[in-house]
Amino acid sequence: MGIGTTHTVALSGAVGHLIEVQADVSRGQIGTTVVGRADSSLAEGRDRVRMAIINSGLEWPATKRITVLLSPADLKKTGTHYDLAIAVAVLAADGVVPQRSLERTALVGELALDGGLRCTQGVLPMVLAAAHRGISRVVVPEPHAAEAALVPGMTVLGMRSLAQVVAELRGEEVPEARPVPPLTGGNLLTWRGESRLEEVDLADLVGMDDPRFAVTVAAAGGHHLLLTGPKGCGKTSIAERIPTILPDLDAEESLELTAIRSIAGVLDPDEGLARRPPYVAPHHDASRPSLVGGGSGRVRPGQVSLAHGGVVFLDEFPLFRSDVIESLREPLESGDVTVVRGDEAVTLPAQALFVLAANPCPCGNYSPDRRLDRCSCRQQALRAYQQRLSGPVADRIDILRRMSPMGVQLGDRFANRESSADVRRRVALARERQRARYAGAGWRLNAHVPGPVLREEHPLPDDARAELDRAVLDGRLTRRGEVRVYRLAMTVADLHGLERPGLDEVRVALRLRLGEPLEAATVTSLRRAG
Amino acid sequence: MSEQPALPLPHEGEPVDGAGEGWGQPEPDPPGSERDRLARIVLGQVFEPGSARVDGLVRELGAARLLTLLGEHRWVQDVSNDARARLAQVHPERDLERAEAMGVRYVVPGDDEWPACFDDLAGLEPLHECSGPPLGVWVRGPHRLDEVSDGVAIVGSRAATTYGVEVAGHLGSMVVQAGHAVVSGLAYGIDQAAHRGALAAGGVTISVLANGVDRAYPSGHERLLDAVAAEGLVLSELAPGTAPTRIRFLTRNRLIAALGRGTVVVEAAARSGALNTANWTSRLHRALMAVPGEVTSAASRGAHQLVRMGAATLVTSPDDVLEVLGASGEHLAPDVRGPTRTRDKLAHRHQRILEAVPVTRPAMTESIARTAGMGLFEVRGGLDQLARGGLIELTRRGWRMRQDEEGRPVIPD
Repeated sequence: MGIGTTHTVALSGAVGHLIEVQADVSRGQIGTTVVGRADSSLAEGRDRVRMAIINSGLEWPATKRITVLLSPADLKKTGTHYDLAIAVAVLAADGVVPQRSLERTALVGELALDGGLRCTQGVLPMVLAAAHRGISRVVVPEPHAAEAALVPGMTVLGMRSLAQVVAELRGEEVPEARPVPPLTGGNLLTWRGESRLEEVDLADLVGMDDPRFAVTVAAAGGHHLLLTGPKGCGKTSIAERIPTILPDLDAEESLELTAIRSIAGVLDPDEGLARRPPYVAPHHDASRPSLVGGGSGRVRPGQVSLAHGGVVFLDEFPLFRSDVIESLREPLESGDVTVVRGDEAVTLPAQALFVLAANPCPCGNYSPDRRLDRCSCRQQALRAYQQRLSGPVADRIDILRRMSPMGVQLGDRFANRESSADVRRRVALARERQRARYAGAGWRLNAHVPGPVLREEHPLPDDARAELDRAVLDGRLTRRGEVRVYRLAMTVADLHGLERPGLDEVRVALRLRLGEPLEAATVTSLRRAG
Repeated sequence: MSEQPALPLPHEGEPVDGAGEGWGQPEPDPPGSERDRLARIVLGQVFEPGSARVDGLVRELGAARLLTLLGEHRWVQDVSNDARARLAQVHPERDLERAEAMGVRYVVPGDDEWPACFDDLAGLEPLHECSGPPLGVWVRGPHRLDEVSDGVAIVGSRAATTYGVEVAGHLGSMVVQAGHAVVSGLAYGIDQAAHRGALAAGGVTISVLANGVDRAYPSGHERLLDAVAAEGLVLSELAPGTAPTRIRFLTRNRLIAALGRGTVVVEAAARSGALNTANWTSRLHRALMAVPGEVTSAASRGAHQLVRMGAATLVTSPDDVLEVLGASGEHLAPDVRGPTRTRDKLAHRHQRILEAVPVTRPAMTESIARTAGMGLFEVRGGLDQLARGGLIELTRRGWRMRQDEEGRPVIPD
């Protein structure tokens, strides 16, 4: 009789904690207790584990007192993936599994009564956390093996049942078992939506020079964007093509996004690491938890976290509920989301490019063409609508563009039809310049550089500085707006391959920020530059 | 020139001022004759286009005779000796042959194709020392010039904004769909957008150049030039191979204005060349229109100035342009008006009564009459009618606005 020790991982948000599971099997009053701040779903594991062990043809120490400790004991633990670690700890304490075989090994998985393993969410971030804490081997349900193997240097055992795990640990021949059903659920929809988006390309859009230039700048520098214009002018079309001009995610972003998907349970096991920037377009009825994350029990990442490294498109932005709009302030400003539930606060990354779209009026029937104008909005409704567009969230938007339905010139053979690949190359070059410039700093893109750093380390030439000051003195820009123009000017300069922005770049940035039409020569300048 | 039949000439050294009498000369060669055409080619190359003096002499003497006089070194008042020196370098037959090989023709007055609108330029007061109809125009394109002269000139700055470009493109495509041709230059910005809009709509567009019709200026517009030449018309007073100069852009502008029944200035900064075209349009008594921009936009300053001075009509849509260009009563653009509201349909006194009816807390008829400042009898009748129309309701404590099922007042707009 003795103590068995195994390891597993607790997740809070995207942060994993290594948990030591100790099982003590000794004489005493018969029964099983689990201590260490386990929630009810975890406590139920006691029964699952007992039946799983018995139904696997192994012996449950029924005449003994069994105590299971999950430590650190003060960390709140929730979920069902502790089952496997608890079962193996009990078996190790009972001498069925040699303790030596459990060194530097973590176990993750829920058990069914027949001893079969069940899938769980968040395997990737768990394994990542385990790797940081010196674990070199993980046992996971078979469908998660590929996901766990994304972590470099990790030995992964994908198993189907408790009996298989025990045999493997004892060095015996692994018995047959039924395959583990994968986690799918309602995630197919997202998946299908993404494959549709893989087929869109900027080349599908004819003309639209002004918004094309704006999304190029937004993508290159990570600037949030607000598009206004009557319906049918192509706001959605251009927004859903922004991911196509973003370069592949870098290794860090890619792992972060895949981990978030794993937590949300929407990771496609066949896909492996997410390489392409994601795109989400929540409807304006969306609730706050669905957008920024939350939920009961385990934290579910919201849409903005699922768009980490990619694009969040909020169509009909002023129609979103005001508490939802308020909750976007944090991800817009800092690039992550903090969800507070009960006594815990969980922070998830949400470094996405926000694209907001709005009609000129709430009814959406306004048209600049007098013959087509069917707007029936009252002045009061119009004012309320406009106010939402100038609130604190809109103040965090770098680029404002007014789109017009005339921009679509289908028959125009001279119109810009550049493909996403062409633009993506340009964006990648501009991002490369930023990466080199900001190496070692806590930010990667111009949009995230703090204002004081800009002014001290990347000063503007005198004439450009004067132009910016004049805009503030004229009341066209707020001080917050000034910093945004500054950042935009940096990005415009990066797109042109310039060392630093000058007067021209500041002027372009001002127009982008103030929603004024760009000069026609500006929008073609990138194409000419190649 | 030696093969030309000898003409009776005035005595050597005798001043020829164009207004001379007693020359004993026969009628000038009829316009459109071969000699006239060749002479015009030569004159077009030795003089800058738009010379009022040359125009007057040609009108008086005929092109061929003026050329002969120049060739014989006669002193012609106000005509420079430099021009004379250039005579020897011009070979009109060869030019014509080469032009033909490139699909370029030379159209002169008297030709069937000569558009009457050019003659409107005769006798206009010079602008920048330039005036008068062209001696002839070099033309590329599949249409007859006289048949496409029902044009709309769309002009504006090279330094246009994306707004101006969109408006010009939209305008270009809409006016050709209404059966007009677009007339413009070939510059970046508005000119380019207007042509592209017209071509996209499958219409006819005319590009008037300040250089030979065989070359694009700016050179980046070579494809655009070829497309206009293939489906519309490219024309110039200057012979193929001629390069543009600053002054030639200004003289070219009078042809753009003349070919259009009206001119629309889309975006023009304070000193834009488009304002020169606008000026010609006014001199020709053609319709001048301007598209507004934001009041802060430097690119619209010139266009705004035209409206402010009362020189141009403000247009905000293709409908407006067609209305201005159409015969009176044709192409009327729809009026700008708000939607009809419930209150608009009420008689004036009923509106006053409705105004006095409280929204939620009911009021008695007397109180409403007092508020409305109207007679009790009249108000009583009016309230009944408003109630029948479902706008107000009678409660035990008096009248108020009708409430919906959830008890919220329904306020008519």
